[in-house]
Amino acid sequence: MTTESSVAAAGNGGVIHDLGYRRYQGQRLGRAGIIRALYWHSLRSAFGIGRGPKAKIVPIFTFIVMCLPAIVNTIAMAQHPGQAPVVDYDTYTPRLRALVMLLFVAAQAPEMVSRDLRSHVLPLYFSRPMRRLDYPLAKFAAFTAACLLLVEIPLIILYLGNIVSASGGSAVWAQTKALIPGLGVGVLWAVLLAAIGLVLASLTSRRAYATGLIAIYFFLTFTLSAILRNVAQQGAGPGPVPVQGPGLVVPPAPLGARLPGLVSPFTVIDGVRQWLGGTNPSPVPNPGGVGWAYGLMFLILLGVSLGGLAARYRKVGAS
Amino acid sequence: MTAPLPLRAGPGPADAGAAAAVVQTDALTKQYTREVTALDGLNVSFAPGITGLVGANGAGKSTLIRILLGLLPPTSGRAVVLGHDVVRGGEQIRTLTGYMPEHDCLPPDVTGTEFVTHLGRMSGLPATAAKERAADSLRHVGLYEERYRQVGTYSTGMKQRVKLAQALVGDPRLLLLDEPTIGLDPSGRRSMLDLISRIGAEFGISIVVSSHLLGEIEQICDNLVVIDGGKLLRSDTMTSFTQVSQVLLIEVDEGATELSAELTRRGLVPRRSGRGLLVRIEDDVTYDLVRDAVADLGLPLNRLEQQRRRVEEIFRDHDGEDEEAPGDH
Repeated sequence: MTTESSVAAAGNGGVIHDLGYRRYQGQRLGRAGIIRALYWHSLRSAFGIGRGPKAKIVPIFTFIVMCLPAIVNTIAMAQHPGQAPVVDYDTYTPRLRALVMLLFVAAQAPEMVSRDLRSHVLPLYFSRPMRRLDYPLAKFAAFTAACLLLVEIPLIILYLGNIVSASGGSAVWAQTKALIPGLGVGVLWAVLLAAIGLVLASLTSRRAYATGLIAIYFFLTFTLSAILRNVAQQGAGPGPVPVQGPGLVVPPAPLGARLPGLVSPFTVIDGVRQWLGGTNPSPVPNPGGVGWAYGLMFLILLGVSLGGLAARYRKVGAS
Repeated sequence: MTAPLPLRAGPGPADAGAAAAVVQTDALTKQYTREVTALDGLNVSFAPGITGLVGANGAGKSTLIRILLGLLPPTSGRAVVLGHDVVRGGEQIRTLTGYMPEHDCLPPDVTGTEFVTHLGRMSGLPATAAKERAADSLRHVGLYEERYRQVGTYSTGMKQRVKLAQALVGDPRLLLLDEPTIGLDPSGRRSMLDLISRIGAEFGISIVVSSHLLGEIEQICDNLVVIDGGKLLRSDTMTSFTQVSQVLLIEVDEGATELSAELTRRGLVPRRSGRGLLVRIEDDVTYDLVRDAVADLGLPLNRLEQQRRRVEEIFRDHDGEDEEAPGDH
């Protein structure tokens, strides 16, 4: 209809019909639909889906490595039924998990935000019917979901491996009861690491810098936290360094050794886990009475990261 | 979200005089800092059709476009785009508007199709519709096989076309094109202008196209809005711009100086232009005066040509001398 009236207005026939511009009469999604579309698009790109083969290397590698302990545990359980599981749900080989998550976040957070900054594509998003903060919101939701998949899927594998070898309904129930807090800890990991990764990545449009920045931040704080803890444990102990070994009960750590965990996001998460009642041992000493500080630190880190992300996109969009 | 939309916002219905303005601003002011005023009480109305937004770099064109998209709040005054206030109706405006930024805005590592499809989804199209309209838009801008190539491998001209396609994908009623010919070679410019002209005339989409080169966009515009230092310099239809611009170019092999003096004596105002003389055509008598002057002096007349002068020259006349735009921030 429109085309025809334009024809009349333009006064020259044929060419126009060849072009055949069609108006869109169909449904238009509102803001929520657009945010959802951006969420799915971002979630896919976090795993390199819809990108070249190179973009899939890190996601696939980290995923496989993350699943290895669960697979090893499943095999072990199958061969020696009845023995205690090698891997726990809530700690899940803490050092390996920290390392894999560090790698994943450092490599993929820039994929989520730095690319768009680098190619100056943001004005195209902001000139569409979304609001300024819808973009970081969708990115945060997508990256949290991506981290969640990476953390939780191995736990599900672990759970399935355990219940296959479990004998009796009560054993299955025990496994299920142990899995639930494990999944909860996974949420802590995903939410905090996604927020920190995104805000650091959004600071620079250079992908390599963003990856470096994230890796250095996580690695330095993790190392610093470990060094401070060791120093405190050495200084406090009257004798030599407490020997850790199987069967040995580790004595309650001195306060000086319980605080350095606040420095690194990984140890903060673990501190929160223990504060909330997690008993499985990990490299981080149980914070005991200062557990609330870990909870507070978790919220501060999360708040500062999300606030920074929002501020960043308010600024980027305005310029 | 899906408010009933006017079926078309292209060149208005028969009662053209009453056709609602596509864009209307009222004392629109934008001050970035106390010193930097990008728009200074701008009052202007854009009629449907293709409107050229002309001004030197720093005249306030990009600021105006960003305010019209509801991305930048005005310091004072107001602006209405397609019936929606820019402050309160930003989302509705952006649903109805396609925007092509001046600067490079393309990721190099996706194909043209993927890119435009994704931005179609960001315009609120469902997945299938986005795919279809992305293919259509890319075809309209003249990208065929290339659309499956990565954007990073495109030439500048093709990149500009993809930028235009993403503005078109959401089926806008209004396109805001910020310097669409920037960085293109002459033939690239010409085909980009042809494309814009076709979209305006045949797709029934109103277009605001900004440029710092008047001579370039005057060919395709129905209306022209000239701003300078954030203020309106002139706003009119293209025809009224060109009505006053009929000139006669007289080229003689020799004796141009004598001819100039003779024409002046006969009441014309000749102006040197290269090897020839230019006189403004007031009416038919002008031709007779020129003919008589040449004949009386017995000069060898080489060329006598009626020209439609470019708008650029009109402004040169208005200002006397070429002026550099002041205060380029």
